[in-house]
Amino acid sequence: MGGPHGQFPSTQLSLLEAATAGLPNDALERVIALYWKPVYRFIRIKFRKDNEDAKDLTQSFFTTALERDFFVRFDPAKASFRTYLRMAVERFAANQHAAANRQKRGGEVTFEPVEEQAVTTESPEQAFEREWQRQLFALAIEDLRVLCEESGKQIQFQIFDAYDLAGGERPSYAELAARHGIAETSVTNYLAWARRTLRGFVNDRLRGVTSGERELREEMRRLWM
Amino acid sequence: MNKILVGLLFGLLLGALDGATAAFYPETRNLMTGIMVGSSIKGMLVGLLSGWFARKVQSTKWGIAMGAALGLLFAFGVAAMQHEHYLEIMLPGFVTGAIIGFLTQRMGAAKLAEKREA
Amino acid sequence: MDVSDSVLDHLRHVAALPDLSGTRYELESEIGRGGMGVVYAARDRQLDRRVALKVLDSALAGEAQLIARLEHPAIVPIYETGELPDGRAFYAMKLVAGARLDHYLAGSPSLGERLRVIRRVGEALAFAHTRGTIHRDLKPQNVMVGEFGEVYVMDWGVAAIAGTPAFRAPEASLDQRSDIYALGALLEFMLIAPGSSAAPPALRAIAAKAMSADPAARYPVAAALLADIDRFQEGRAVEAWSEPLWHRLRRFGSHNAVLLWLLAAYAIVKFALFFLRTR
Repeated sequence: MGGPHGQFPSTQLSLLEAATAGLPNDALERVIALYWKPVYRFIRIKFRKDNEDAKDLTQSFFTTALERDFFVRFDPAKASFRTYLRMAVERFAANQHAAANRQKRGGEVTFEPVEEQAVTTESPEQAFEREWQRQLFALAIEDLRVLCEESGKQIQFQIFDAYDLAGGERPSYAELAARHGIAETSVTNYLAWARRTLRGFVNDRLRGVTSGERELREEMRRLWM
Repeated sequence: MNKILVGLLFGLLLGALDGATAAFYPETRNLMTGIMVGSSIKGMLVGLLSGWFARKVQSTKWGIAMGAALGLLFAFGVAAMQHEHYLEIMLPGFVTGAIIGFLTQRMGAAKLAEKREA
Repeated sequence: MDVSDSVLDHLRHVAALPDLSGTRYELESEIGRGGMGVVYAARDRQLDRRVALKVLDSALAGEAQLIARLEHPAIVPIYETGELPDGRAFYAMKLVAGARLDHYLAGSPSLGERLRVIRRVGEALAFAHTRGTIHRDLKPQNVMVGEFGEVYVMDWGVAAIAGTPAFRAPEASLDQRSDIYALGALLEFMLIAPGSSAAPPALRAIAAKAMSADPAARYPVAAALLADIDRFQEGRAVEAWSEPLWHRLRRFGSHNAVLLWLLAAYAIVKFALFFLRTR
């Protein structure tokens, strides 16, 4: 599952720039990496598919629906790319659903298996955006980890991981300082550096899936709390 | 135009008009010239003093009061000289003085100060 | 790796905070979100005072220099501009303690007080216009009234992006007349505030004139709008409104009430004396 992380160009082109520069594969990679899980989750909730069906649909969406002029047809004035893609998923899945149903007609009575999923209070659209945010950060965190490994900043990542990525209760700065044998001020500085860098990676990835400055700014405003 | 000038002009005008109303009383019709001259002078005196007062004190309320008092005073003086028509002279004189007092407060120099207040 | 909901929200918050290391400021709290960025309360360590820090989403710091040169009691002074370690531009300005205009109106100020606020805003606009600066995003959220009644106009020179459609002039390129439009919209906003009595038609007309779709039909300068408000407060005829005759007479009557009463008193006295005498 999931797309390759790949080697991303150091300067992230916006989506339209990439498309018009004739690098559709590059843009496609970035889109898939970010959107695979959100699309999967969206299809599962909205169309009540089981795990396997949803996976298949997601895969076929990306392979068939994302041909070259998918990007060109996108009009940033109408909606964000995220919304545009989600609507395309809806159309695609609805068509598949209708086609599948047409096959079933002819007197057969089939009971659609009742999906037992975790009860979600959020709508499919909200789930889609949430999952998208989650993936965005997951990829950016991975970028950060790779950077730290390659530049010998392992301890910075460890501190960041221990504090900001902590599931339950967060350790205090003093504890972290003691654990790694550094000063408390270093903990503060490392965290600040990690967050700053993470922010940069998130914004870079965001730039890669938006059409330009305006959409980027709006998505940033939506994303950062 | 300064307030004293305003007082003099309006005092003259209103005094003359006030005096002119004596024409309604048949018994005084033949004395019109004298009445009007006297009334005008009375008005100008009230106006002069009201105007001077208005330069010192900026208050519509007090200006009216002062004008009315002056008007009453001078009207009394005139009436006393006649030994009659006290009411017909003093009451209108009182109100005319009030009008003159009001006008000297509202018009003439130092009016700008009121505009600043929003 | 899976990012849990709580971690996701934590990161969204924490990585958005401005990193003030290397500056002389200490972050305190977020105050609000504006057109181009977020405003925080911070402490200036060097001068030991609290300031407001506006952190811009993108690098449009040029505006700050322009605004910093404007010195006017109603324009929030800018202390410093700079760049954060993460590349974002910021500027430090006076921390205004007070209420934003929409909150100020919740206290039901009198019409006179509301007009005073409009006047201060108009004066600030007029001042800025003579210095060649246009506000471009004037709206209630950008006006603050301090505890002593001081009025501040903030967020100057920000190009209204999404903006607030109700306060934004219809034309595409914004200039001084667009500011006039916004001033009219602000006046309108203050007139129809809840808790206030019916808005005087003369003032509505002033607002409407300022908000004409055709820029040429608006007041040419902010001072002209303020002059019309002056006329209204003095009980004189307002340029923007051609009033019906009965209203003109009523206004004349109320404006000259004292005089009319005195003249009436004179007439009454005269008539009374006359009829008493001849009885």
